Amino acid sequence: MSTAYALTHPASGAVQVPPHERIVLPNGATLIVVPRRDVPLVAFQAVLRGGPVCDPLVADESGCLAGVASLVAGLLEKGAGDRDAFAFADAVEGAGGNFSVTPGSEALSISGQYLARDQHLMIELLADALLRPRFDAGELEKLRARRIELIKATKDSDPADLIGIYGRAQLFGSQHPFGHPIGGSEASLAAVTHEHVLTYYADHFGADRLILVVAGDLDVPSLRRQVEDAFGGWRPAGVPLIRLMEPLRAQGRRVLLVDSPESAQTYFWLANVGVSKRYRQHAALDLVNTLYGGRFTSMLNTELRIKSGLSYSARAGFSRGTVAGEFAIRSFTDTANTRKALDLSLDTLARLKQDGVTNDMLDSARAYVLGQYPLGFETAADWAGALAELEFYGLDARYIDHYDAMLRAVSLQDARLVIDDAFPHPDDLTVVLVGDAKKIRRVARRYGPVTVMSITQPEFVPGPRARRSAPLPQQ
Amino acid sequence: MNAIASATPSSPTTAPGREIIRSLTLANGLKIIVWPVRNIPNVALYNWVRAGSRNEAPGITGLAHFFEHMMFNGTARRVAGDFDRLMEARGGANNAFTSDDVTVYQDWFPRDALELIFDLEADRIANLAFDPEVIESERGVVASERRLCVDDNNHGHLAEQVQAAAFLAHPYQFPTIGWPADIQSWTLADLQKFFRTYYAPNNQTFVVAGDVSPEEVFALARKYLEPIPRQAAPDPVRAREPEQAAERRVLVRRNGQTPLLQYAYKAPAAADARAPALNLLISILVDGDASRLYRELVENRKVIVDLGGHWHEGFDPALFWLYFTLPEGGDPDLVQPIIDAELARVARDGVTAEELRRAKSMAAVAFWKKLSTIDGKAQLLGEYEIFHGDWAKLFSAPEELERVTAADVNAVARDVLAVNRRTVGVLIPDPQAEGEPAEDNAELEEA
Repeated sequence: MSTAYALTHPASGAVQVPPHERIVLPNGATLIVVPRRDVPLVAFQAVLRGGPVCDPLVADESGCLAGVASLVAGLLEKGAGDRDAFAFADAVEGAGGNFSVTPGSEALSISGQYLARDQHLMIELLADALLRPRFDAGELEKLRARRIELIKATKDSDPADLIGIYGRAQLFGSQHPFGHPIGGSEASLAAVTHEHVLTYYADHFGADRLILVVAGDLDVPSLRRQVEDAFGGWRPAGVPLIRLMEPLRAQGRRVLLVDSPESAQTYFWLANVGVSKRYRQHAALDLVNTLYGGRFTSMLNTELRIKSGLSYSARAGFSRGTVAGEFAIRSFTDTANTRKALDLSLDTLARLKQDGVTNDMLDSARAYVLGQYPLGFETAADWAGALAELEFYGLDARYIDHYDAMLRAVSLQDARLVIDDAFPHPDDLTVVLVGDAKKIRRVARRYGPVTVMSITQPEFVPGPRARRSAPLPQQ
Repeated sequence: MNAIASATPSSPTTAPGREIIRSLTLANGLKIIVWPVRNIPNVALYNWVRAGSRNEAPGITGLAHFFEHMMFNGTARRVAGDFDRLMEARGGANNAFTSDDVTVYQDWFPRDALELIFDLEADRIANLAFDPEVIESERGVVASERRLCVDDNNHGHLAEQVQAAAFLAHPYQFPTIGWPADIQSWTLADLQKFFRTYYAPNNQTFVVAGDVSPEEVFALARKYLEPIPRQAAPDPVRAREPEQAAERRVLVRRNGQTPLLQYAYKAPAAADARAPALNLLISILVDGDASRLYRELVENRKVIVDLGGHWHEGFDPALFWLYFTLPEGGDPDLVQPIIDAELARVARDGVTAEELRRAKSMAAVAFWKKLSTIDGKAQLLGEYEIFHGDWAKLFSAPEELERVTAADVNAVARDVLAVNRRTVGVLIPDPQAEGEPAEDNAELEEA
């Protein structure tokens, strides 16, 4: 059951997966151990397959009660085993550690870092949280109320942070789990009951869903014993893991205008469905996206920031899951320059699609990606995250070990292929604008039929009152 | 299994590395500190420039930050954009940040780009260009950054107002990003004067951590940086903030849903001997779910939905901040006495041994986390060199933290958490801007 990887001597500069041990327990839990002794810390990354894509389906137009998985995740540290919420926090932070639960779209990720002397406590807390959470009803009430208020606070101080949530709801729609807000909305959170939480836990928590990577200054034999004791007897999840449908690419353009009165800038997000994590040409994709919107001198940032001074930042990128996530362009500009910045964004995408990239550009992107790559694999916590990700997507060590060689092999032809295949045509984009509707709604209509909603609405989709307007004729 | 079995893990209280770090001061006064680290084939370089909004005056606020942008915009030898283009084409990336006290330039690159990086860094220090067209374009970028961080950010807007009210005499009153009118009105002469004064080699410190030897770094420094002429030292900042005698209050009404409260207490300078105790105090108050204020205000009383705090560790005495987000409909007038009672309790009764132990453990983990990357190493070395006068003090930081007693924390709490030496900011969401704009739907129906 166990595989030990030998340390190979990498070519200069190439990142290689470090020696580690992988154990699959009889109940399906996967354990990976990576010893590393540079600083007296241990880190873990636990991934529980499922996450928000398993939020319960409902019959209404939202399609889903979003936010259940996210609340379950938040409640894991609000009392578990012998400890109530306060005692749990005291134990974690008393050791100087942290216990951070992040709902991704297809998994719940739990990570933490502790002093090496507290290795045993770290595993005890994790096992309690996963196997013996209390799900106290009072804690649910508190957490839910707070989450709702935090969404409102984000609307006041960082509206751009929410734009992708509005955008994914438009792009993937209510019928695909990627269209549902991972953390829920003000309205959906308010509808979550204690029963939803308990059912979610029974259905979607279990050993067969668990990947646990522990890395750092470890006592390996005692860690292995403790993990086997702690997780070896865990039951499997109550239901099989759902398989996601491959989302469909959107045809044509439509615009959602989220009205934030008095907003000084327009924040925008232009997207379509992209490709999955297992995309075969991922090295070429990384190079082309670096050139288009992934670094400071990218085509997009050159146009919107460096040459025109329209924006502080313009980026583009792919979010890739077990199925395709979105390719999205994100930027913002002074309200008065909304049209100029949107046109420039579309023009650069059209230029990429039409002219492609040159060999010189590819060489520059290759050097950049190769040069920055090792910085993502520096610490034990970095490796815990990286190995958990490989395991989650069913990729092997070659995904990292051969990345260098794959980047070096990318040709102009490969780049052309991904430009045609993965990057959307500028006429096929879902557009979200967050800004002052009274100033930009006419501009918005240049880009497609517009739906307007207020940023204070408690959902991330327009309510039944929203109306759509026809696009302006092209001038 | 045997291949990766290990001895029992250890938890040293002193950080390793001190004996391999080397430093050199060039003839022109520029100092370079090198920490060779071979875990990845990369290098982190930080250039600490002793120029921040503290060195500004009314009319030119934001100028230090504007240089953080202009330093990427061309030299006598290279056109605007070349700096980034050349660096990225050799695998490097960069960033920079400006504070009230310093401007810091960061490069992260593969080791074989080391010479190019020294060439680029020296070129912009020696030969920065001031192209009027580029300056105009960059004003737009900074204005956009300001709208993002201040104008469209209720928290940022309130903090700017509080900071401006907290100081009467000291330039710490200026927002680092600059007042909007100043961003639009700097002249070429302003830029040239600021550059000559503050970007002199004797006003900068390079820190290099990564896959290098000190000898090769020193050789490159001599080749590229040493020829840049020294300048007269900048005038010291003479302003001293007068003692604050009574609480100040700032009220802001803004579009939004959630009320905000901010407290800014007058606090000591970074080099103050009470620094470790003050850092532990802030951790005891606001770091994590077990912290004093989080537990009492968010969990028990449920009057606050989010909170945080930080101490601005500057060259001069600055501010100790606490900030609170209230739930929609929350009344700051009712919540403030609850917060104040908690803070008064800390000042009166002190912190518990358990709280102190927790804060020390959290600080230890944070310290080791920083030391686990070349970036963290370069940053910490620089912070100790610039704000504490000697990079080597970094290595006694864990012991100094361990030595802090509850009495030390209690003393600094009594000194700092004084109501008469604070500025309180209140943001009330403006109800007029609430709700769906009716005219919107009317217009849409016409369409």
